[in-house]
Amino acid sequence: MQSGTHPQLDETGDEWTPERMQRFFEVREFLLREANLLDQFELERWADHLTEDVEIRVPVRVARDAGSDRPEYSDSNHHLVVGHRDLLERVARLEKEYAWAENPRSRVRHTIGNVQLGEVTADTVEVFNNQVVYRERGTDGESDTISARRRSHLRETDEGFALADRDVFIDHTIVPSRNLTLPLL
Amino acid sequence: MSKAGNRAERAEELIEQTGEALDDGKHPMRIFNDDGIYERELQRIFAKTWNFIGHESELEEPGDYARRYIGEDPYIFVRDEEGELHAFYDSCCHRGAQFVRAEQGNTSHFQCPYHGWTYRNDGELTVVPYEDERYDDLDKEAASLVEAEVETYKGFVFARVVEDGPSLDEYLEEFKWYLDIALDPTEEGLTVVGEPRRVRAEVDWKVPGENFAGDSYHLAHTHGSSFELEYSSSIWERFDAAGPLSQSYSVMTDTHAGEYYLFDEEPIYMDYPEKIEDHMNSDLSERQREMFSKSMFITGTIFPNASIWHGFNPIGGPWASIRLWRPVGPGESEIVSWLLVPKELEDDEEFLERAKAGYQSLSPGGVLEADDTEVWSGISESSNSATAIERDVRADISGGLEESDAVPITDGSHGPGEVIRAGPYLDEVYARTLFNSWHEFMSEQR
Repeated sequence: MQSGTHPQLDETGDEWTPERMQRFFEVREFLLREANLLDQFELERWADHLTEDVEIRVPVRVARDAGSDRPEYSDSNHHLVVGHRDLLERVARLEKEYAWAENPRSRVRHTIGNVQLGEVTADTVEVFNNQVVYRERGTDGESDTISARRRSHLRETDEGFALADRDVFIDHTIVPSRNLTLPLL
Repeated sequence: MSKAGNRAERAEELIEQTGEALDDGKHPMRIFNDDGIYERELQRIFAKTWNFIGHESELEEPGDYARRYIGEDPYIFVRDEEGELHAFYDSCCHRGAQFVRAEQGNTSHFQCPYHGWTYRNDGELTVVPYEDERYDDLDKEAASLVEAEVETYKGFVFARVVEDGPSLDEYLEEFKWYLDIALDPTEEGLTVVGEPRRVRAEVDWKVPGENFAGDSYHLAHTHGSSFELEYSSSIWERFDAAGPLSQSYSVMTDTHAGEYYLFDEEPIYMDYPEKIEDHMNSDLSERQREMFSKSMFITGTIFPNASIWHGFNPIGGPWASIRLWRPVGPGESEIVSWLLVPKELEDDEEFLERAKAGYQSLSPGGVLEADDTEVWSGISESSNSATAIERDVRADISGGLEESDAVPITDGSHGPGEVIRAGPYLDEVYARTLFNSWHEFMSEQR
């Protein structure tokens, strides 16, 4: 797991070949479609695009002095580490009546930007993106905003890309929303 | 109730009403979210009681420090060069500026960013710029950092704002018997894993504190969706035919309350790897060791707002945790959680994975806590209402007060305090205990 103040994209210096440009647009399209599925709580369809060894992590962020040799994103403590089985269970849970955290559904909107390719191999693409996730709950119009940088690894499968690995580096040391459900990541 | 009265009068009336209503197992709902009550809680409870501020193992090296709070007051939890632990009020004696800007770090000195007054990490003022030119005879000793009382129990560090009061040992009462099992069961003791997790929620600190002290009654309803999941169902097969009801116990001392689940048939050691049996703390009595060996989990609340957990649940574990429901405003808390594991197992990756899976079930992203905070936040909104005052709305914690099928354990086969089998489901005496503590501090009877 990458640590450090911010997950940085190494200068890859890769040339913008036509193939790389095509990869870029394919990957960006994947992220945007995925965000739409999350925003609309189409979670079962979203889960169709996960590899069986997928893991999603949300590390705890700690405010540290500038120049500290300890990482800002904890390497040993997470709000969440979920693998494939747990993700499917969570998707199933949110369909249940008693899943109070998302019944009724939050009004969620991902705005995704700063999409950049990282390392591209024959079957895997590393991609970074920033996001602002707006969440409104309840009936009083109150909302939370969760800002984050993601690093994802997408793997090419027979059905197109699938999410194989993801870190969600939230910008908050104190989670600003009372819970962190799947559609907010 | 003075319907139009000012905030102070209303708060005092609410406190008085709580005292009267508790005899009937009730309290005014409004105390969950009221400005006047909140101000008095900070002054009368959080400044007067022992507050959990951190674990020894968080500060390994001299100079390690962490930003912590007692109620809303900012403190610096630090290990000095001699290895002593302190909790300093984060405010320079000169003009009151704060030293600490990070949650955690390491420093030998705290230098004020305003005028440069500099204190050693044991609180002593060492440098005052232009000292000789500005002062005739500055009493630097009198200008040491204001320091909270600090005491440690089994590695868990507590601090108190006021100087006078019972020792931590006295304050924890007979609850220590259970804390020993939950917080110090093995030879090498518990150690923290990583930094604490923090989340802010519209939840009054009293609500989760009371929940963790013994509310199994909410499990089927608040967490119904999680217990229906495939991976959690296997747990229920491990209970007796009679189900979890008959294996749950409440325990109350004068001030604190908790609950635990025991498997009477076979020792399960909270589902720890078998080697844990060979590493039990020899300070534990035979009865304490027996209780640990039968335990699924132990949880409880050290009044006012530190809740403990040790054991496993349907999602994962075993793991140990201490959680603070830190007040940050009327009806609002910051929930801070620490993960701890026996030092003997801190490098056991397979075990850690299970421990973390359990710990995460009670995180903002966890399937259990996500639903808790959703439910609890509704309490905050509804309590802060004219209706709660005008219609004298009361919370009901009378379950089991007159009679219930819960069974008091009086043969001394468990630990000290009042112990009740099936109490977590059938008797709300755990809640009455905590609200009695609340009332005693708020009415300044302590």
